[in-house]
Amino acid sequence: MTQSRYLLKQSDFNETRQRVWRPVVPTYGPAKHAGSRTENALLAKLSERIKQIERPTATVHGVLPFGITATDRALPGGGLARGALHEILGAGRDEEDGALAAAFAAYILGRLTGTADGIVLWCLPRPDLYGPGLAAHGLDPARVVLVRAPRDAEILWAMEEGLHAPGIVAVVGEVGTLPGIASRRLQLAAEHSGTTAFLLRRWRDGGQAAHERALPNAAVTRWRIAALPSRPMPGEPGVGHPRWRIELLRCRGGEPVCWEMEVPDATDHVSLAAALADRPAAPVTPEKLRRAG
Amino acid sequence: MPLADALAFAPGLATALAQPFEDAAALGRLAEWCNRYSPWTAPDGTDGVKIEITGSAHLWGGEPALANDLLTRLDRRHVTGRVTIADTIGTAWAVARFAQTAEGVVILPPGELRAALASLPVEALRLDPLIAQGLRRVGLKRIRDLYKMPRNALAQRFGETVAQRLDQALDDIPEPLSPLGEVPSWRVRLSFAEPITEPADLMLTTERLTADLVQRLAQEGMGARRLDLAFHRVDGRVERIRLGTARPSRDPRHLTALFKERLDTVDPGLGIEDMIIAAFAIESLPAEQISLPGHISRNEAGSIAPLFDRLGNRLGLAALSQLEPQESHIPERASVRVPVCRPHSSAARVANQPPRPIRLFEPPEPVEAFWLLPDDPPFRFVWRRRRHRVTCADGPERIADEWWRPNGSGDVDAIRDYYRVEDEEGRRFWLFRAGFHHGGHQRRWFIHGVFA
Repeated sequence: MTQSRYLLKQSDFNETRQRVWRPVVPTYGPAKHAGSRTENALLAKLSERIKQIERPTATVHGVLPFGITATDRALPGGGLARGALHEILGAGRDEEDGALAAAFAAYILGRLTGTADGIVLWCLPRPDLYGPGLAAHGLDPARVVLVRAPRDAEILWAMEEGLHAPGIVAVVGEVGTLPGIASRRLQLAAEHSGTTAFLLRRWRDGGQAAHERALPNAAVTRWRIAALPSRPMPGEPGVGHPRWRIELLRCRGGEPVCWEMEVPDATDHVSLAAALADRPAAPVTPEKLRRAG
Repeated sequence: MPLADALAFAPGLATALAQPFEDAAALGRLAEWCNRYSPWTAPDGTDGVKIEITGSAHLWGGEPALANDLLTRLDRRHVTGRVTIADTIGTAWAVARFAQTAEGVVILPPGELRAALASLPVEALRLDPLIAQGLRRVGLKRIRDLYKMPRNALAQRFGETVAQRLDQALDDIPEPLSPLGEVPSWRVRLSFAEPITEPADLMLTTERLTADLVQRLAQEGMGARRLDLAFHRVDGRVERIRLGTARPSRDPRHLTALFKERLDTVDPGLGIEDMIIAAFAIESLPAEQISLPGHISRNEAGSIAPLFDRLGNRLGLAALSQLEPQESHIPERASVRVPVCRPHSSAARVANQPPRPIRLFEPPEPVEAFWLLPDDPPFRFVWRRRRHRVTCADGPERIADEWWRPNGSGDVDAIRDYYRVEDEEGRRFWLFRAGFHHGGHQRRWFIHGVFA
């Protein structure tokens, strides 16, 4: 723990890092099947059939791939289902502020807004969302409209109104209490309109948190994001690369998985166009890209 | 006379405490109820209501019919009154209070002001009692005596008000009526023979009124941005629903839906006898090309406006905002919340900007921080009664007050040293220390945001 003037860090001048998610250690994952090829094909066809029977309209609006093979493999359809309701929780003390959940949602929304036109409706009880922070995680704050409502019921109502309206590409709501009926309505509205809905759960009270976490709801996927100590940068004191533990707690048509991911530092977010403009001092070799894989 | 003397004169006198504020409020409600005749109403002193009926008398079948309707309804409410219709406020006021007639309704023919005022006492000119007393003392007891007096002599002796009031009463100087509420641009009224209470009936009449108003707006090529739907109850109370839209609108379905959402806040009481819809802020709205069914383009900016209207009318228009970047180093000014539907300027994105948190607290919360050396980040801090042990930190990043701005104070405490710290669990916070170290300044630590 020493001081370092952030603007004079060496990494700013030496490397240009692309926005890359590095899966470090998959802690647990789906079991692998053993058997001959025809059996595998038959099993695949049968499981597809079962999925269709279970949920005929599961991926009717398509999926949003993460671009990371480990995550896309775990999700049915190869990505996050569009036109569906997803729930994101924080872990530990972050439940109160919801910073990690918001950052994860911002990352997903950044990819979503890159593919479709429209605005993102973000409904929250307190206006503590910061524009440059959203931009650091890939979401352009000009595409976000904040709706401030003091009560959870009003936030859920605003989300449903947003899901029914044209011109909205995604709806985010930060709620504490979620009645089962409300989640079912949101899921149906999302399926009907093709707009993706995200629920960020925030609680102040531990008892309420435990109670609400145990309640079932109609969300298609349930994620939990926890903060991990950062990986120190070699030769650089101070805060290193932030790391997260991303858990897919519940997924309709998939199994729970957990990853530890490394998020590139906020300022190192360089999109492809900028990489061409700011050429790095050392050329980025293919080996580096593969290792970043 | 004092109360004791009055009781001595008439022992069976009924007494009650005077309540001037309640009386004024009741008069205001009565003036509001008189909106059914015209939007230009105002309470007059403590015992009257003035109504401007130019242009609305024909809706009631003439001035006598209007006056009779007003008197009968007041009678129903056990309010005895006298109605006077005249060319000016001054004459109507004078005749209503000082004319010696037994009838409740007096309608003065237009242009007959001098004759009507001539025989009234000078107090009928709304003068200060001292001035009226002064006029009486010099022998000017009736208004006809004032007609022949030279104006400058009156002004020298009794002030400007005498001549001014006389001119206002005789229509030589205009005296406008400032109404109680805002005057609408368009108004549609629906009166019922029998008062209605059923919600279904209210919805039906709302639809009908909105359709009428929209038709008028469409004829003019205008759209309304503020609407007011007033329900006049049988007992004299007026309930209102006020609406605002983000863009001028004359879509009857959209406006009716916005009204219907708030319809259950209206308490019909014993019945509603009038419904008046008024459009206030109207702007020009050219005719739009309606799209064929099935070809709804999702990218129209105008199609999001109804959603903002619905959200804004239920949660308040201040609840909707967008984040607009500003050119400022101070974090809370670097991104401000602006109302939606404003064209936003694209501020240049600063490359290589230091990291900023995703959650920012307004205002920054104080923390208790412990540090070893003056310029060090803290090794431990206590926030919201929880202890955090810091494992690594970045900083300091100094952000000072913007002295070049007119409202920058240049205060010493406005200088902040920001540190990005990480605790043992892995959570990352944005702390800052306000103020300098030396001098007698107290170093105060705050937390401004949480990183992801």
